[in-house]
Amino acid sequence: MKSQLKILALITFLSGVVFLSGCDEDPEPEDVEEEITKVVLTFTPSGGSAIVVEAEDFDLGGVGPFEKEPIALNANTTYTLTIEMFNGFYEPTDDDYNVTTEVAEEAEEHQLFFSWSTGVFTSPTGTGNIGSIGVVNYEDQDDNNLPLGLETTWTTSSATTGKEFRILLKHQPNEKSATSTSDDGGTDLDLTFPISINE
Amino acid sequence: MAGPVIQAQQNCTFIISGKVVDENGSALPGASVQIKKLSLGEATNETGSFRFEKLCKGTYLVLVQYLGYESVEKRITVDSNLELTINLQPSERVLQEVVVADHAEVATRSNNTAALSARELDEVSGKSLGETLQNISGVNSIQSGPAIFKPVIHGVHSQRILILNNGIRQEGQQWGAEHAPEIDPFIANNLTVIKDAGAIKYGTDALGGVIVVTPAELPADQKLGGELHLIGNSNGRAGTISGLLEGGIKNAKGWGWRVQGTGRRSGDAHTPDYVLSNTGFREMNYSASVGHHTETSGFEVFYSHFNTTIGILRGSVSESLDDLADRINRQVPANTNDFTYTISEPRQEVTHDLIKVNGHIRSSKHLYNLQYGLQINNRKEFDVRRGDVFTALPALAFRLYTHTLDAERETILSDTHSRCIGINSMIQDNNKIDGTQTLPFIPNFRNYSAGAFWIEKISRDKVDYDLGLRYDYRLYQIAGFNFQNRLYKTQFGFGNVTATAGVSVKLSQHSTLIGNMGSAWRPPNVAELYSLGTHQSAAAIEYGLLLDEITTQVKDIENSNVNPEHALKWVTTYRYQKNRWQAEATGYINYIFNYVYLKPRGITETGRGPFPYFRYTQTDASFTGVDASMQYEFSPKFSIRASASLLRAKDVTQNDFLIFIPSNRYDVSLRYESKGHKKTFFAQAKLKYVAEQKRAPRWVDPEEIVAANEQGIDLFATDTRNFDFMFAPQGYALLSVSTGLSVLVQNTKLDFRLSADNLTNTRYREYTNRMRYFANEIGRNVSVAVNLSF
Repeated sequence: MKSQLKILALITFLSGVVFLSGCDEDPEPEDVEEEITKVVLTFTPSGGSAIVVEAEDFDLGGVGPFEKEPIALNANTTYTLTIEMFNGFYEPTDDDYNVTTEVAEEAEEHQLFFSWSTGVFTSPTGTGNIGSIGVVNYEDQDDNNLPLGLETTWTTSSATTGKEFRILLKHQPNEKSATSTSDDGGTDLDLTFPISINE
Repeated sequence: MAGPVIQAQQNCTFIISGKVVDENGSALPGASVQIKKLSLGEATNETGSFRFEKLCKGTYLVLVQYLGYESVEKRITVDSNLELTINLQPSERVLQEVVVADHAEVATRSNNTAALSARELDEVSGKSLGETLQNISGVNSIQSGPAIFKPVIHGVHSQRILILNNGIRQEGQQWGAEHAPEIDPFIANNLTVIKDAGAIKYGTDALGGVIVVTPAELPADQKLGGELHLIGNSNGRAGTISGLLEGGIKNAKGWGWRVQGTGRRSGDAHTPDYVLSNTGFREMNYSASVGHHTETSGFEVFYSHFNTTIGILRGSVSESLDDLADRINRQVPANTNDFTYTISEPRQEVTHDLIKVNGHIRSSKHLYNLQYGLQINNRKEFDVRRGDVFTALPALAFRLYTHTLDAERETILSDTHSRCIGINSMIQDNNKIDGTQTLPFIPNFRNYSAGAFWIEKISRDKVDYDLGLRYDYRLYQIAGFNFQNRLYKTQFGFGNVTATAGVSVKLSQHSTLIGNMGSAWRPPNVAELYSLGTHQSAAAIEYGLLLDEITTQVKDIENSNVNPEHALKWVTTYRYQKNRWQAEATGYINYIFNYVYLKPRGITETGRGPFPYFRYTQTDASFTGVDASMQYEFSPKFSIRASASLLRAKDVTQNDFLIFIPSNRYDVSLRYESKGHKKTFFAQAKLKYVAEQKRAPRWVDPEEIVAANEQGIDLFATDTRNFDFMFAPQGYALLSVSTGLSVLVQNTKLDFRLSADNLTNTRYREYTNRMRYFANEIGRNVSVAVNLSF
């Protein structure tokens, strides 16, 4: 009977050896195309040079903050705001780096919403359309003629400081409609920038 | 009574009389008693008695049968008048009987156990394993919606509970609270829970206890047997069909086989007021086994396949803290639609395959057991993602291979002393299935584990002792991707000792006292060490124990203070049984050192806004509680049963409460049962009360977190107490009723059952259900079942 035990031990050992000796290849990294780690806001006035504001999550999936530059606009000026989004897991030369194109292609299921502190803009009036019904001057539409928001226009008020400007990109597959709001769908991007209006 | 056959030339004046009783010594009226040779038969009367007169001298076989009980065949030699008492045992196989039969023993007399028998399983058939186990006192579950039940023993769950499926350590992706065991409960003929820590024979991890899923023994005769179960549920418009065929092989003595399959399908469940959209499920499972047994040896081959697709409440999805605040505040969950069988995102697609080969050889002194198991577990989780292209991809996909090889030798040293020694080995290989296009939540890994054990069992007159000791070593080889999607590789090991001591004392004819002290340990699992990111509908980011607090870089285990979990659990059970009374009380204290849990640590900002983030953290925790039950028979037909399950759990180091700890619960049921030879009828009503969990962590409203964050305040920077996004729900009471009829026609048993759960359509939420943040529990469910067995 002792020999039976020995056989068992041998089988155990041998099967261990078989698995241990299996040659290992390193796993392949995943394409992480879905992430947005950088946002560039370009405020272009009708005349003059554009103001570019960047926000970036430098440590990608780490605990570090999504660092945001403050927005500083000139008083009583009309700007066209274009929003670009990037995925820092890729090199700028990769197609997957620019997320803006994908959002534009799937415009029927995306919408950007905005909100801001009172007294920042004279147009649109109000404080935006996040969590409330407000006006935003959308300059682009999807195929259903519903607003998208990659391009919007804004007219600043007189000088003010210490205010906020929030951008919310919602993904609303089969939900986006004339009556859908910022409460519908899932959040793809939600950033709040400090904003000030200079003299 | 058939006329006695009088044989000439013999002295045919003998009388055999007697009584048929059940396992408690109560009379069984209506039992069938036959003397085959003489074609005599009768049914026992009201007092369970029978009587045959004018019998001739000779040897006879007496066959006693009773529905729901094992038949007894008794050889008697008649040369005088005889008075017999025939004891029948319930037909479910009690664990110890299985043990005696052939296999390795899973529980000893000095283990604290509770079981669901074949009959009890039949009465709750059509439910998942986790939901079924809730019928055992002291066992609860952590739920994720109406279909996902993860068992909890004495407040402890997940990796701290070992599940033995047909003798094999069940291994799957079990690191998530939404990962239910991949087992078809229809495989089980008996479900037993060992509440002690330390499953000496099966390795590490059993800090909370062991769940033992035991199929019936393979048939030994050639008769074809089978079962068919059909179950329909009103809630979810769900249907279950399960069938089984078994038999022997003609002209091949000792061979037995069984095939079994189950299909289940459910659409969206509903609360009293609204549909729970995307909570349907589909399941398709099958198994086959064949074996050969002789007096001294046996072997079996077993294969099972489990395949499920389960939806998770659509309204539970939140992609930011703002979304979460919105989802919690809704009266009716977001994205609530009309009833459908369609399962959309989020959902899980899980398969589990098990191949097992085992054999044993018995000699006069020894019993040798050897078994090999291969398990393949595939898990894919689909989430609501940006764009249809991504949504079609699983957000998480892993494949886990597990090989186990177990060998043991049981030796009978004397009538009162036996010894068992053995070795276990396990190799696991976990790989991500490429193409999720997300950072993998856990790394790829290999796990090599080996262990050896030694158990001594000593029986004295009224006392049984057992002592067990084992040593295990586990080596991990890790290859994963960090927060920058860069590869990291490492390897390390853990080794330690598990020990248990148990004693069972027969205090009197009516009472037994069992005590067990166990020390068990568990290496932290890979998810606890390396988790990174967010997974299925958890609006939180999780970081593993080995991710640096500041840089998020992966640390070496040597440079960390990560330690294995250790549990010291004391469990004692007192059982009392006399005449019409039956009572049982189990008390326990489980102290877990280096208890691993997810702790809120702060707010991190992502592109989707601020998120609370959680770190796996270690603390010392204690779990203290009592399970008690009592049964009284007013008459042979009427009985009342009451039970209570009380638990206090605490984060000892921080003097804080732990989350998702089951609250105290009580139930009382009234049962009418009329047993007969050909017909059994029962009707039962049960009232269950679940108290509010008052010992819950503080409540922090997500809106509060968002508001504070806007002010530049991190609510968790200084206050590191545990928290929950919502207060614990109120207590609730539920009424359920069920009735059933069993009839025996020829050799075919037919059961009909009608039952209703949550009869009053009560609106409530259960603290241990993760769906409670978003929606009420399911409303009334009427269930109809037909079982046929032959």
